[in-house]
Amino acid sequence: MKNQRSYFEKADFQSGLPLQLLTATLGLTLVLLELAVAQWPVFYGSAPNLSLIFIYCMIIYHGKHMPIFTIFFMGIIGDFLLSDLLGGRATSFMLLAYVMQLRLVRLQQSDFGQLWIDFAFSCAAVSLFQLLLFSAVNFAIPSLSPILFQIGATLILFPIGYLLIFAVHRLLQKVKMI
Amino acid sequence: MRVSDKARVRQSRIVHGVLILISFSLMFLGKADLAALRNLRMGSNDFLAPIVDIVSAPIRGIETMIEGVRTVASLRAENVRLQGENDLLKRWRRRAEILESENRQLRSVTGAATVASRTPITARAVTAPGGGFAHTVLISIGSEKGIERGNPAVTADGLVGIVIDVGRAYARVLLISDINARVPVILASSSWPGLSVGQNGQFLDLQFLPDEAKPKIGELVLTSGHGGVLPNGLPVGRVDQIKDGKIRVRPAVDFRHLNYLSVLVGGLDGIDNSNLDLADFYTPMPIDDSTRLLEGLNSSGKRK
Repeated sequence: MKNQRSYFEKADFQSGLPLQLLTATLGLTLVLLELAVAQWPVFYGSAPNLSLIFIYCMIIYHGKHMPIFTIFFMGIIGDFLLSDLLGGRATSFMLLAYVMQLRLVRLQQSDFGQLWIDFAFSCAAVSLFQLLLFSAVNFAIPSLSPILFQIGATLILFPIGYLLIFAVHRLLQKVKMI
Repeated sequence: MRVSDKARVRQSRIVHGVLILISFSLMFLGKADLAALRNLRMGSNDFLAPIVDIVSAPIRGIETMIEGVRTVASLRAENVRLQGENDLLKRWRRRAEILESENRQLRSVTGAATVASRTPITARAVTAPGGGFAHTVLISIGSEKGIERGNPAVTADGLVGIVIDVGRAYARVLLISDINARVPVILASSSWPGLSVGQNGQFLDLQFLPDEAKPKIGELVLTSGHGGVLPNGLPVGRVDQIKDGKIRVRPAVDFRHLNYLSVLVGGLDGIDNSNLDLADFYTPMPIDDSTRLLEGLNSSGKRK
């Protein structure tokens, strides 16, 4: 009987590493996709921030599978490839993750409309943070219209990203129940 | 909350803080332009660029498809436009031949030196600027093809930018629209020198033009060749707007449709490109009296 119990305990507390790796792979692919989307003339210089949508939704619904290292690497790789201020993206993403974790319960209980508004503020805060850092380091203010366009495009695409991640979340819950 | 949970939360907060600290420090290290960091950046680009290329393939396919549909829809109008353009080009060609011959004769008289020959190498733009903070593109050739920092990148329309980082198989080009790009230019019709400064947007700013210069809307802006990094005579753009003393230039190249470009290799002999800080390279002499401090003041406090 004792052996049987320890067997079940082992099954309950299995490693979350494979799912974390899967999430990291998906996140990094999204960063690359973001870069690919930037090649469309309409998104020139202002590709929607797909990785931010992913991070935001994942922290709310699958925070366990979204370790801080994944967010760090998504940010750094984005910085490397976009040749942005190295570490600027990573810092802003991690700060957002930290603030979100402090308000996690409230966010999890919010409906979609509230989440969308909260995401709009988060997206604006991330862009503003990067803008302030960029301006401080370069002593120059870049053109604001591409940044505003990027925020707008990201906000428009948020419901699609949310729907996809929420659908996966519900599916996983159903699988667990079965 | 159990003790083990509390410890885990504390541990995760410490890791969170350390990672934020690391990425925050990276910002300043990155700006310091350390060789090791530059190599790391280009090494990672060399590794990631082929993956980006693969991920981009379906996106490029969709773009080509949309472009194809649009082209078919406007085929008739395009044909009429092209015929008109062809007639115009024929006239321009005849004019160019006359001017070329005249130029050759004048050069033989004045003994003007021709621009040092540079070899163009064609490359594909692997990425496009994705954010509002940096306007750079990765191109599909690197040091193995002889690319060096400082080589200009051009298309048939004009200057695209300058190579700032070189990896083995990939290089990064700083577009002239980037906020850190400063290109010494001249106005084509009057030859007044100035500096084209990127704004991380659609247009460039034309700065440091002498007060006597009176640029006209639509006037061509060319590279002046000052500094020796860029050859002279490359089209940079056309004057688009003059408002409150600010001169806006529309780049000659449409960066939104930048798929292929040529890198002009060579011509950098005697130029130190190991620390190519464009801002330092092209900073012109101050022209404003207030920035000259005590220079040229006489005993009564007046300038000569």
